Amino acid sequence: MIDNNVVDKSKDITILELLDRVLNKGVILTGDIVISVADIDLIYLGVKLMLSSVETMEQIRSGKSISK
Amino acid sequence: MIEDKILYNTGSLDEFSEEIEKLTNSEDSRLKLTPKNADSGLAKLVLTLVELIRKLVEKQAMRRVDGGSLTDEEIERLGETLMNLELKMEELKEHFHLTDRDLNINLGPLGDLM
Amino acid sequence: MIYSLLSVKRNQEELNDLLNQLKGISGGSLSSVSYATITAVVSEINGNHLIADQSNAVEYARIIEALAQQFTLLPMRFGSMMETNDAITKMMERNCLEIQQNLQKVDNKVEYGLKIFCDSGKLREKIKASYELNTQSSIKTTSQIINSIYRDYVDKKLAEHRLEDLLLTFVDSVIAGITGSLNRLKAICKFRKMITETTIIDAVFLLDKKNERSLVHLIDDFKNQFNELDFVLTGPWPPYNFVETTIK
Repeated sequence: MIDNNVVDKSKDITILELLDRVLNKGVILTGDIVISVADIDLIYLGVKLMLSSVETMEQIRSGKSISK
Repeated sequence: MIEDKILYNTGSLDEFSEEIEKLTNSEDSRLKLTPKNADSGLAKLVLTLVELIRKLVEKQAMRRVDGGSLTDEEIERLGETLMNLELKMEELKEHFHLTDRDLNINLGPLGDLM
Repeated sequence: MIYSLLSVKRNQEELNDLLNQLKGISGGSLSSVSYATITAVVSEINGNHLIADQSNAVEYARIIEALAQQFTLLPMRFGSMMETNDAITKMMERNCLEIQQNLQKVDNKVEYGLKIFCDSGKLREKIKASYELNTQSSIKTTSQIINSIYRDYVDKKLAEHRLEDLLLTFVDSVIAGITGSLNRLKAICKFRKMITETTIIDAVFLLDKKNERSLVHLIDDFKNQFNELDFVLTGPWPPYNFVETTIK
C-alpha cells in the first residue's frame, strides 16, 4: 500500500513536470498576450497562425490535478 | 506508460507534488476582470504595483539606515513615513478585501528585484 | 490543415522509418517538412479544434521524447500549429539561422530539472540564531529619544531586512556551489530563486547525457552539505527550457 502511494506520487510529479514543459516551455510560434475580459480570453495572434484555443489550454490545466 | 523521470529525491513526495503543482499552474498569474470585479480587479493590479514600490522603497531606506550615514532625526522621520505608508496600505487592502496573497500576482522572483 | 511541429537537425531516412513507427496524436500519422538542414515533424489535426486534454499533451511529449532518442531537436510548445506545409517551410526559411544556432546549442545535450525545497520558517530561525549570536552588541542605540515608536519601527524593519538579505545570501551561496560543480560537467545552468516559501530554488541544467551519473552524485553531495534542504532531480528531458525563443 505504501509503495503504491510512492509510485503514484512519483508519477504525479513526473506528469506535472512534463506538462509544465510541454505547455509552458519549448519553442513558441508567436508571442501571445492573453487578457481576460468578462471571462472571455482574447489571444493576440501574430502572423497567420492558429494556436489551439485557450479554452482547450485551460481544460488541460484544470485537468492537471491528478486525483488519487 | 509514463516512465518515471525522478532521478533523485529526498523528503516527502506528497509535499513536493503539491508544491510543484502550485508552481506550474499559472492560474494565479492571470488578472481576471468581470463586470462584478472590475473594481477590485483593477484595485488588485494597482495595489500590487504600489505594494511592490513600497517594498522597494522600504528596502532602500533600510540600506541607508544600515549604512550609518543618517542622523537620528532623519531615521525618526523615515520611520514615521514608512510606518504611515504601511498603515495606509493595510487600510487600502482592507477596503478592497484583498490579502497579501491576492497581491502576489506573479511578477517574477522577487529575490531578483529586491 | 493544421500541424504540430518539431525541428530536427540532419534529415535522414532513419527519420522516415521512425515516423512510420510512431503514431501522432489521436492516432494520426506523422510526416516531415524540410528546409535546408532543418526538418519539422508534423501531423495533421482535423477541423478547427485540437482535442486538447491531458492525455494528448502527454502523448505529444512522448512523441518528442521518442524522436529525441535519435535526433537533435528543438521541442515545440504543445498546440503549435500552422495552416499548410508551405507556411511551415516559409517559417523555417525566415528563422533558419536562429533555429540552426539553437540546434547547435543543444546538440547531444539533455535537460535536467532540480527543485530545492526547504522549510523557510526553520531556515529563517536558523539564520536568525546565528545572526543574533554574531551581532549581539552591534545593534545601534544612538537615538537620544528612548521609547520612540518610529525608532522601534525602524529597528524592527531593519532586523527583518537583514534576515531577508541573509536568507538570499544563503540561497545565492547554494546556487554558486551548484554552478561551480556543474561547470566541471560543462553544463549550462538557469536558476530561479525564492519562488515560494518552500521552493527556494528552481533550476534547469543542460548537459551531456553521459554525465547523468555524475550529476546525481553531485546533488547527493549537496544534500550532505545542506542537510536542511530537500532536493528533487528530474530528467532527462528534451531541452524545453533552453530553446525559449519566439519564432515568427
